[in-house]
Amino acid sequence: MDMDIDEQHYTRRAGTQRVLPIDDEHPFDLDQYISNYTGRALVDRLVFLIPQCPTLAIQAAQAAAKQIRSMRDTTLYAQLMSAYEQAQANGGNDVPLPPFHEVVNIDQAWIDETTRKNGDEKAKLEVELKTYSSNMIKESIRMGHRDLAEFYRSVGDYQTALKHYAKLREFCTTSQHVLDMCIAVLEILIEQRNYAHIPTYVFKAEPALDASTSALRSSTHTSAGSAATPHAAATAAQVSRDRFMYERQKTQTKLEVATGISHLGLGSYEKAAAAFVRAGGASTLGPWANRVIHPSDIAIYATLCALATFQRSQIKAQIMENDVFVNSYLESEPYIRELVENWLAGRFKAVLASLGRYSTRHALLPHLAPHLHNLTQLIRSKAVALYFRPFATVKLEKMATAFGWTVDETEKEVVRLIEEGDIKGRVDRLGKILRAQETNQRAELFARTMKAGYDMQSANRKLLLRLKLQQADLVVKAPKQSNQAQQSSQQPAQPAPPQSGGGGGGFAGRMMEMFSNPLGMSSALDE
Amino acid sequence: MAPSTSTAAQHEQSAAAAPAQEQLKNLDELLHYLTGANTTPVSVNNALRSFGTKETREALLASTLGSGQDPLEILSPEANTLGYLYILAAKLNVNGAPPQAEHVESFCKRFTPEHARLAPDRITALANGIVKASGDNVKHALGPLRDIVVRYPPNSTYLTNVHAIFLRACITARHFAVALPVLATPILNIDSSISELHYNDNLVYHYAGGVVLAALKRWREAEEFFEIVVTSPAQTPAAIQYEALKKLTLVQLVLYGKPIQPPKYANNQLIRMIKNSPYNTLGKAYPQTVATLTAIIQKDVEVFRADQNFGLVQQVIDRAPRWLIKRLTLTYITLGLADIGREVGLEAEEARAVVMSMIEVGEINASISVDGNVTFADSTPQFTKADVDAALARAQDQAKLLRDVERALNSSKEYLQKALKHKDEAWGTEEDMYNTPPSGAWAEESMYA
Repeated sequence: MDMDIDEQHYTRRAGTQRVLPIDDEHPFDLDQYISNYTGRALVDRLVFLIPQCPTLAIQAAQAAAKQIRSMRDTTLYAQLMSAYEQAQANGGNDVPLPPFHEVVNIDQAWIDETTRKNGDEKAKLEVELKTYSSNMIKESIRMGHRDLAEFYRSVGDYQTALKHYAKLREFCTTSQHVLDMCIAVLEILIEQRNYAHIPTYVFKAEPALDASTSALRSSTHTSAGSAATPHAAATAAQVSRDRFMYERQKTQTKLEVATGISHLGLGSYEKAAAAFVRAGGASTLGPWANRVIHPSDIAIYATLCALATFQRSQIKAQIMENDVFVNSYLESEPYIRELVENWLAGRFKAVLASLGRYSTRHALLPHLAPHLHNLTQLIRSKAVALYFRPFATVKLEKMATAFGWTVDETEKEVVRLIEEGDIKGRVDRLGKILRAQETNQRAELFARTMKAGYDMQSANRKLLLRLKLQQADLVVKAPKQSNQAQQSSQQPAQPAPPQSGGGGGGFAGRMMEMFSNPLGMSSALDE
Repeated sequence: MAPSTSTAAQHEQSAAAAPAQEQLKNLDELLHYLTGANTTPVSVNNALRSFGTKETREALLASTLGSGQDPLEILSPEANTLGYLYILAAKLNVNGAPPQAEHVESFCKRFTPEHARLAPDRITALANGIVKASGDNVKHALGPLRDIVVRYPPNSTYLTNVHAIFLRACITARHFAVALPVLATPILNIDSSISELHYNDNLVYHYAGGVVLAALKRWREAEEFFEIVVTSPAQTPAAIQYEALKKLTLVQLVLYGKPIQPPKYANNQLIRMIKNSPYNTLGKAYPQTVATLTAIIQKDVEVFRADQNFGLVQQVIDRAPRWLIKRLTLTYITLGLADIGREVGLEAEEARAVVMSMIEVGEINASISVDGNVTFADSTPQFTKADVDAALARAQDQAKLLRDVERALNSSKEYLQKALKHKDEAWGTEEDMYNTPPSGAWAEESMYA
């Protein structure tokens, strides 16, 4: 499954993107979408969006260009241009797009200026790092690496940025430093959609988080002890505890979200949903809300993953009755909240309709896009299975109306689900009725027991014979030959002890030839 | 395993060996000694074994008496089993003195098994001689061979090398049904002291047995026989085991509609080999419509032909629609014949024929209405009280058998030695002993101790 997704992912990136519909049926509000993000995250999303929505390309390209001007990565212009050109190709004649330079005014002077500034900055930082290194001051070296990493990141050289973060690690003196490093690396990995490596840094961050929390706690205790009155001390301790719990929560939320994105990217939806719903309130996301992932996107990721994999009771307990999640995330996307409510109320037609309605919105989320098809399929299957569960028989026609499909479509879906074992039932093709499977438990048990008995006896018999053979040392051995031949006979490619006549294996080989004849002939006769 | 016989034999040996050792220079003397009183089977065997000189023994045994009479006329198969056996085997294997067919047949019907077991080498020679003597007309050898197979071992669960010779003869003569009574009893015992067994005898017997059963379309038994060959202990797998695995894969497709993972004690090398073979490709694709399967095996037809398995492959493919229909019964309650035909790649009329035949043999439980609609009913297997009783009885037998095996093992010398040596150390779990050679398991445990 992972493999498929990867392939899909790459082909999509390679340029076989389809054009997404944007109309009254599939509403999409670019301005609102843009307003959720800033900086590189915004540019990345726009670059992702442009080829798929040629109708919005002009507006998006302008917004992106404006954003790029306020940054210092000149290569983004090139990315934007190639995305725009792809939009032109995808749009074809239906959506005539003016040439790129008419839409975006490429400011060559700015590019030169920024490139020069970047060069200066780099030189400056490198000299600084060199000085620090020769002075052997750990903390300064760490900061030198950090500054360089941040610099490289801002100009879009992620590999070098990661390299500096990796070097920085040995100069970390407190667990807070390790945490900072991990969070920064996670940001880069998420931006890069390098899902497989995310868990490594989450695992690295977790012990650091524990260590830093306990360090904070002990420091509060000492400061509280030195306070004048016991009462004041208690209050102070309370306040500071709240503060560091909040600090801790901030990191924890980021780690959960990163884990969620990683699981989603790798196709384990259930784990992704579980990680997302563990995240703390939206406020703890801090700058991540605009730079990495917006709360409304978390709501979408979490809900779709949960609907596709969670039990109904889990959804109820972990999403609808999870106040933090509802207040922080679900509220920011009202239709998602409705989606969950409809699901819990069994209004599957509405669920599927709204999934279709917002498919454009979903397909434009970079982490979700490659999995959208799978998730939708899973949700459909789940819906059908849930719908059927309380019934003994259902008319396919009725089912079709409940889901808003045609009868044939319904039948196909149901048959697929039966074959995959998601529904225990059988279809009456003539009466167009789906009947639940009635198993005669008693007969089933008898049959299973009988079979188990038979299998066990047969296995016993075979194993006993094998035991006796071994006791009598009737073990197939490689024929005694020169060492070289023996080695080759142990290689798997060699079908068996080789051809030469002398040894036992060769004998077996000849024997086999003698024997395969009769059956070949006999079965040829049977035809 | 006949401990009583062998200890008794050893005991008698010292007493009886001396007088028999000397004289007996020619066949007449031998005959006189054989027919005389005061002989025990062991002393007779020793006398025969040391008869004449090594070079002349066979020729002497195969000769006639001084009066020109055939010694076999005088000896009786029951009373003089050993003498008869030695002379008969010599006659069969020495050129120019073939015994009369009646002598061979009557001996095989009438010999005394307990005596004959003292000379397993002569039994081997006899069996080979019978096959050789029959020349192109192997079917004449079947009767005597079957008599030996049935009468020679202490009971029918023992394997002898004559088993393998007999099965080969059955297949060469294409008389498959003759082998069935022998194949019906599974082999459970191996005793190298009553028969000169080589690992090939076991492999050949079970492989040939599988071939016979498959030719008679007794798929379930054939599967078991092939599986025994595949899982026989091997340091390096033999070619015949690989051939058996190929056939096993095909038989399982016929039997279950899908390949079954071989048991984990099967040799890994074999499993790796089959993974890259066309057999695995076919197994993975199975079942699909006949047209699709034919297209899939197209490029491997030559391989199947070269392995002499193409007939089986064809049968496997012919059965594919049945498996597809069987699968439909899990999904549908009613279905038109035309729909069935479309699903399995057949015309409606062909589909009707297949469905009918499946109903007849009880593979599915269904009815066809006049307008061509098929209704699949649930097929819940029913068991009568007698079935359950029989199953219980089998289980009890099995439990007893296992208990006996365990006792025998517990009292065996090797086990007791080991138990004594490692009395104070922790014992490995059952699985450990089963997967790793005992020596390895011990070594590991002593590390922990």
